[in-house]
Amino acid sequence: MQLASRTYDAADVWAVQELYHANGWTDGLPIVPPTHDTVAACLDWAMMEPRQLIGIEPVRGVAITAEKLAINAVMAGCLPMHFPVVSAAFTAMLREEFLLHGATASTGGCAILVILNGPIRAEIGAGGTFNALGNGSRATAVIGRAIRLALINILEVRSGGIDRSTLGHPGKFSYCVAEDEENTTWNPLSVQRGLPPGVSAVTVLAAGAPRQIMNEWTAKPEEILETFAAEMRANMRHYSIWPGHYAIVVPQQLREHLQAAGWSKTDVAAFIFERARIHRREWADAGKGAVVRDRGDTVYAALESPDQLLVVAAGGPAGGFGAIIPPWLGHKSRAVTEPIGVCVDCEPPKA
Amino acid sequence: MDPRVLDPTNEAIPPLGEPAPRLASLAGKTVGFISNGKEGTKGFFAHLDRMLRDEFGVASVITRVKSNYSAPADQHIVAEIAGWDAVVTGIGD
Repeated sequence: MQLASRTYDAADVWAVQELYHANGWTDGLPIVPPTHDTVAACLDWAMMEPRQLIGIEPVRGVAITAEKLAINAVMAGCLPMHFPVVSAAFTAMLREEFLLHGATASTGGCAILVILNGPIRAEIGAGGTFNALGNGSRATAVIGRAIRLALINILEVRSGGIDRSTLGHPGKFSYCVAEDEENTTWNPLSVQRGLPPGVSAVTVLAAGAPRQIMNEWTAKPEEILETFAAEMRANMRHYSIWPGHYAIVVPQQLREHLQAAGWSKTDVAAFIFERARIHRREWADAGKGAVVRDRGDTVYAALESPDQLLVVAAGGPAGGFGAIIPPWLGHKSRAVTEPIGVCVDCEPPKA
Repeated sequence: MDPRVLDPTNEAIPPLGEPAPRLASLAGKTVGFISNGKEGTKGFFAHLDRMLRDEFGVASVITRVKSNYSAPADQHIVAEIAGWDAVVTGIGD
């Protein structure tokens, strides 16, 4: 396989590390040296030519090729079998409604959350149980990291350069979660988002850091979900009042109470849609009285519609915990779901 | 280990373009402001408007506000730029 990228000769693996760090090509952690063979193996696995276009970044008009994406995936620690997920996630991020440039340049400091669904999770060992939002599995760790390294190197989203984040958050190293489809009666997120069952998919969301909640003192769905809604209301008061795609992560212990009571993801979203609302005057309680003005009685909802809530079943089996994951900034960026390795809405070939 | 490693950057990244030549004077010129619409822009651009007119003799200041402060300027705003002698943008936070 003929690759087009410039090559560098390095004496050993340590020299590679210094070369890449010195050029600003890393996230600060050591990288796996991207050689011809390891990059070609990724492309072979995904059946992609090096020059295949993953997409074009809509604001700056930068073309993303499979070769460059594969180089960054190898650096992140990806095996060839992880590369189709990285490729699908990047395709999703390049959709206009995702507003990738704004999300990656903003002072708001969001990261790209990648949510995995479908059979590919088992094939690549992407775990959705213990430490689902942390260091739970190699697959989720390296896929999330590949997204960040590709942003840094292919789109020049470097800290202090295009990336103007005031704080950022740890998800900017890696932010990927696999849904625990095996331990739930709920539909996978990808199905809720309109894809057929059994299709592997990624959903990407420009997202703030997870905000953890705890309520292990009730089995009532309304009370459990009120805790999630309260955290969303807190986010609206303390961070941003604007509505958009929120994700909530519901681990098994709380999920079982909801499922036993017959609550589906749609029911959960309908409840949260009604409860995650605040009056603008509540800003004054958080020191933001200056911008309440004469609209204190106006009610703001966290979601424009119930289907903006991304309900994700993930987390270890024990513990009455959960998390809300807020959007970067309202609906300026919209979540995008992309199937992996198939086209579910393509026209059939003409006979 | 294969000692030959690959460049991870976008070597084909398009050039950002050339900056326009500087104006010899602002006197009598038309200056456009493209605001991102954030709260902090109001005072800044109001002050700059007065300064340009009073101290530099600018003839006309045109202010346009983007519909989305995180996205590029709307096409109708971009289309207006050709009619201005200078433009101020990128100010917000």
